[in-house]
Amino acid sequence: MEEKPSKVSLKSSDRHDSDKESVHSDIRDLWTTTTLSQAQLNMPLSEVCEGFDAEGRSISKTRGWYSPGSRSLDEGDKASHKPEEMDEHALVELELHRGSSMEIIPGEDTASQIEAEKSSSMSSLNIAKHTPHRAYWAEQQSRLPLPLMELMENEALEILTKALRSELPTNPQELPRQILATS
Amino acid sequence: MRLKKGSFLWYLYLDKIYCLLSVRNVKALAEYFHILDVHGKNTLNDVLFYHFLHHVTDLKRHRQHCIGLEQFYMLVCMLLAHENHLEGQFMYRHSRPVFDLLDLKGDLRIGAKNFGMYRFLFNIHKQELKDLFHDFDVTGDNLLNYQEFKLYTIIYIDKLQRRQKTEEKEK
Repeated sequence: MEEKPSKVSLKSSDRHDSDKESVHSDIRDLWTTTTLSQAQLNMPLSEVCEGFDAEGRSISKTRGWYSPGSRSLDEGDKASHKPEEMDEHALVELELHRGSSMEIIPGEDTASQIEAEKSSSMSSLNIAKHTPHRAYWAEQQSRLPLPLMELMENEALEILTKALRSELPTNPQELPRQILATS
Repeated sequence: MRLKKGSFLWYLYLDKIYCLLSVRNVKALAEYFHILDVHGKNTLNDVLFYHFLHHVTDLKRHRQHCIGLEQFYMLVCMLLAHENHLEGQFMYRHSRPVFDLLDLKGDLRIGAKNFGMYRFLFNIHKQELKDLFHDFDVTGDNLLNYQEFKLYTIIYIDKLQRRQKTEEKEK
């Protein structure tokens, strides 16, 4: 897999779009045109998940994606760590001032913008290396909708209930090993 | 094997080019897995996995197996790729994990029989599988090594892109 830094940026004002669908599709396009840095690719899955709290913010001291209030992911480049308590708004402004001149505006044709973006200079590579992963940052602006989290929990409970009911014998003392297997 | 509409996984999505889940989706998926992992072993036992598959997919038959988080993540990505018609893209981008998955014996070779058992995951028809072995089994041993498999994924994605370009031009 190629490891090009993210070069996509979004206007911060557009992140608070009230239209959930257009935000959702923007995020899809953002992920499609964005690449991941190499440091972020070789992480075991369990480590990625352990590094985040319920709000999706990084809580790991030694690893984790770029996000406000967290330390830098790039362990080989600790000098570029952002202050832990950086304000979200200030961070967005910093990105906007720093980043590439290309901006993707939702709803507009992005093909030519994406092409120009890919041919940008190495200076943007260095800049992007020290800024939060933009697609992740954009995604964090619109959290997973609460109804979907509720759906996830309800579905998991339904599966567990089915599994338990399918294995319960008439005599409760004969509970099967599959359900009661313990370490 | 298709995802049931309205299930939690059905709402997740893969990046169209790299066929990866976003961090948010991975986080939600991990939380889903850990709710199912009632024993706290970072594994779904055979019963739970069976009921999970039957709840979220239209799979009728299933041999019971255990599954860990890493394999669970891989399975979900494959299901999503299948759901969104990104099978070829997925195989191209993740050829190594897919090859390892199909290499059931662990001898760094994929046989036609083993590939045939799991071809439904990648929407490969029977005749396509026969053609695949015919065209890409360079060594002639009726087995695919990784290089031959990788070549197949490259050619496949190239054909797909050409077809898409032709379709766009016609439009």
